[in-house]
Amino acid sequence: MKCAPFEYVRAGSVAEAVTVLRDTDGEGKILAGGQSLVPILALRMARPAVLVDVNRIPDLDGVARNDGSVRIGALTRHSALVAQTEHPLLAEAARWIGHAAIRTRGTAGGSIAHADPAAELPAVAVGCGATVHVAGPAGERSVPATELFVGALMTGLGEDEMITGLDLPVPARWGFAEFARRHGDFALVTAVVAEIEGEIRVTVGGAAPVPVRASRAEAVLAAGGPAAEAGRAAAEDLRPTGDLHGSADYRRAIAGEMVRRALAQAGVGTGAN
Amino acid sequence: MSDAEDTAGAGGTGSLGRSVRRKEDRRLVTGHGRFVSDLQLPRMRHVAFVRSPMGHARITGVDTAAAVDAGYRVFTGADFAGVVLRARSALPSYVETDQPVLAWGKVRFAGEPVAAVVAGDRYRAEDACELVEVDYDPLPATVCAWAAPQVPVHAAAPDNVLLERRFEAGSVEAAFAAAAVVVERELVTNRHAGNPMECRAGVALWDAAERKLTFWSGTQVPHIVRNMLAELLDLPEGNVRVIAPDVGGGFGVKAVLYPEDVALCLIARGMPGVPVKWVEDRVEHLAAATHARDHRYLISAGFASDGALLGVQADVSCNVGAYSVYPWTAGIEPLMAGGLLSGPYRLDNYRCTVRGVATNTAPSGPYRGVARPASVFAMETVLDAAARELGLSGVDIRRRNLIRPQDIPYTMPSRLVDDSGHYGACLDAALEALGYEQWRAEQARRRAEGGAPIGIGFAVYNELTGLGRAASAGPRMPFRTGHDACTVRVNPDGKVTVFSGVTSQGQGLETTVAQIVADGLGVGYDEVEVRIGDTDTSLWGFGAFSSRQAVIGGGAAHRSAVAVRDKVLALAAGLLEAAVEDLRIEGGQIRVVGEPTPRLSVAEVARVAYLESNRLPAGIEPGLEATQFYDPVRGAFAAGAQAAAVEVDRTTGELRILSYVCVEDAGRVMHPQIVDGQIAGSIAQGIGGALYEHLVYDEDGNLSTGTLLDYLMPTSAEIPELTIGHLARPAANPLGVRGVGEGGTLGPNAVLAGALGDALGVAVDTLPITPATVWSLMRGQEAGS
Repeated sequence: MKCAPFEYVRAGSVAEAVTVLRDTDGEGKILAGGQSLVPILALRMARPAVLVDVNRIPDLDGVARNDGSVRIGALTRHSALVAQTEHPLLAEAARWIGHAAIRTRGTAGGSIAHADPAAELPAVAVGCGATVHVAGPAGERSVPATELFVGALMTGLGEDEMITGLDLPVPARWGFAEFARRHGDFALVTAVVAEIEGEIRVTVGGAAPVPVRASRAEAVLAAGGPAAEAGRAAAEDLRPTGDLHGSADYRRAIAGEMVRRALAQAGVGTGAN
Repeated sequence: MSDAEDTAGAGGTGSLGRSVRRKEDRRLVTGHGRFVSDLQLPRMRHVAFVRSPMGHARITGVDTAAAVDAGYRVFTGADFAGVVLRARSALPSYVETDQPVLAWGKVRFAGEPVAAVVAGDRYRAEDACELVEVDYDPLPATVCAWAAPQVPVHAAAPDNVLLERRFEAGSVEAAFAAAAVVVERELVTNRHAGNPMECRAGVALWDAAERKLTFWSGTQVPHIVRNMLAELLDLPEGNVRVIAPDVGGGFGVKAVLYPEDVALCLIARGMPGVPVKWVEDRVEHLAAATHARDHRYLISAGFASDGALLGVQADVSCNVGAYSVYPWTAGIEPLMAGGLLSGPYRLDNYRCTVRGVATNTAPSGPYRGVARPASVFAMETVLDAAARELGLSGVDIRRRNLIRPQDIPYTMPSRLVDDSGHYGACLDAALEALGYEQWRAEQARRRAEGGAPIGIGFAVYNELTGLGRAASAGPRMPFRTGHDACTVRVNPDGKVTVFSGVTSQGQGLETTVAQIVADGLGVGYDEVEVRIGDTDTSLWGFGAFSSRQAVIGGGAAHRSAVAVRDKVLALAAGLLEAAVEDLRIEGGQIRVVGEPTPRLSVAEVARVAYLESNRLPAGIEPGLEATQFYDPVRGAFAAGAQAAAVEVDRTTGELRILSYVCVEDAGRVMHPQIVDGQIAGSIAQGIGGALYEHLVYDEDGNLSTGTLLDYLMPTSAEIPELTIGHLARPAANPLGVRGVGEGGTLGPNAVLAGALGDALGVAVDTLPITPATVWSLMRGQEAGS
């Protein structure tokens, strides 16, 4: 469990980081908090030729309110997401990431770029309709989170691109529910409820290769249906795969229940709205 | 809730019975521990192992050329083919098989070491491993001990059965014929691992000029390791020194001599003067350190209408993995399962066939509780099942059958002799601490008014601890582990140095031995220093396993201390011209009975013993030291009872522990904090096994749970507050102690499965109990209703 040899470059700026990435012909990898990358390196499941350490790039961290959304720098640590008060849903979701040591190192940009389907931040990004800011050799571009995630651990990022930050709309009402085997584990299922511009968005993580909107559940709610029915509708929409920790049927049932709980926390579908 | 009057050692001026500050904690909690990984020696090189990626395969070629060309030393199975680990036993059915140091010919489990490389650091060593090319010709793998074998794991055992034994007493047929009810269950327990915080580690150094081998090892059993290494490497035992420095947990996993250990020593012999180091990582540990608890019980039990247990019949298969674990043999789990299945219950009619079955999985070995977390689960499950059929409560059926104080000594149907009998008292105390009646009332209230279902579960168990020569080592190995030695030396300044054969993996043996010696000799706890873990300094100890050290190593320390005290008194009597029987030692001062002030200190006596031989009384030799062995001959049974109330989330299948109680009779409690720590830690491990931990192999013999991402260890967040109580009935040994290292692991499987059954009326036949399995059980129930 020791990583294979690699070259190490400490980037002083975003421009330098993407230039180095471009020059490695796809053999480069960004090192931010390292909470997913370093174990993968140690297991030799990833063998990048060059590690580009972005931790010292200035002005890439912080959470700032910007009208109806917050701007989150890519290097913002999960612990800072927990501590901030501008986006309560984000703070709640970030509390569920790993353990204190992991939250102290792990970064928002790293979690989004790693695109673990069971991770909290990708589900929140999809759930709130985030816009992800990406820098590459040709300049900056912005990608909706719903388009960024293309598969399990796969994004539409180019090999020479890096995430610099994201804009995350602040929901008027919100709910977050997660089910994991142990405290701090990756979720079996995560449910995010966010009311953005009057629309109730229901998103489920951990039950598909990418976080998915539960459109039938949203339709139930739009028609004034109760949370329990929306939960059932969400479950019926999903086609999860089973694994060591639960069958496909179990995951589907848990997803329905987590959606119901997240809706209850948001005060949606309780008959009171 | 201890029975104060029964707590031997409480009160008085001695250190026993008090939670004195632990001797080892200054270094352990300030980062000054000395673990094998901390060892840095000049010229040290690092070893990594090339491991089999296949569960079962013929090795058709090993090409080391690329690694050798790159400048690495490489060793393969052929290099060490002259040395094999052959766990021996005189049991008639036992099939002896060999475990290679590095596999050659074929591999028998995924993770088995095939080659070893030596490099300047571990990173480069792992680079070098990638340069070693091994060609495999896959063979069908067998991973389940009760499935039809594919290709035999060992040619010597075509049916894969390495050992089978039948325990028989009375007539099960007659008992079942007379029974009002016979319950029958098939129960499967989950394979799991000890997973100490520190994985295995070793450094070996061969001194060619002196022909001496030094092996630093995180072992629980340095003297056994010395003995085995001397035999395997054909060295005089005095030329082998094994040093176990600080060790970060063992739990039985480190009571084994592994092929990697022997490989390190053989590599060292091939590289004189170069220390070679190997520190196991977690992936290696999960794949290749010993596993345990992978059992199936086909069990039937007959009961009279009043709940009396009339007969038990069982067929127990234990998955012993690819090799008969060295030196304990494949018998370690099956024989323990058969020997103690009936636990603390009176039983006359018993038939139990146990077998150890080889498979293409990592070898099984000793793990805290050895087999009994599974066997207690089996026994408690049939009691609960019978209680339900007979309309009795779980408490009543247990009380009806427990071994009572008046039954002691009680010969179990396996012919083990129980010396405890305090099971009923433990159960009663546990129920009271739990608030049993209140939980029953709450359960009824929720059933009537709605709310998350609540269940209450129990386990009562007997833990065979401190095994002497008559009780030790069921597998009839070539050695008997009944004794330990201890040397107590009073130095010329009156301070005391103890060279004990015990070892510590965190359980505080330096402290416990110091307490025993301080009180036995009559000096202050702070005056005593204890050295352990080095075979060159301590005479003999079998080490840490079977909850034996407090009883046996402690007994040896006590006897040695008393022997030294006798000499101090004899010497003092001569100096004072007083009668020995009129003298007392307390706090390092020697008094004549009835006199208010001490006449002499132990330090003054020590000075005479070493430096002023002119003052030595006639007939007394210089020096102040004694070495004694102790063997309790039989063992000391420790009674225990656990109970819990749990709540089930019907939507997710989650089980929440609302209250968890354990009451044990650990005999005289020498250090309450250490004893409670042992019980709490072992219950936590038991809860881990009951709810989370599960090593899963796929059909090809690949470990699906190869990292801690999938092999779920409980964290502090998963373990509830525990209520721990003591009965403290002194045992019949010099210190009155019973072992406490393992008992806690015995309860949680049975307690939590029983509680779930009580809450939902479901039958839990497989472990672990995961939210998904609970959810499936509930769904099955809905479908069936």
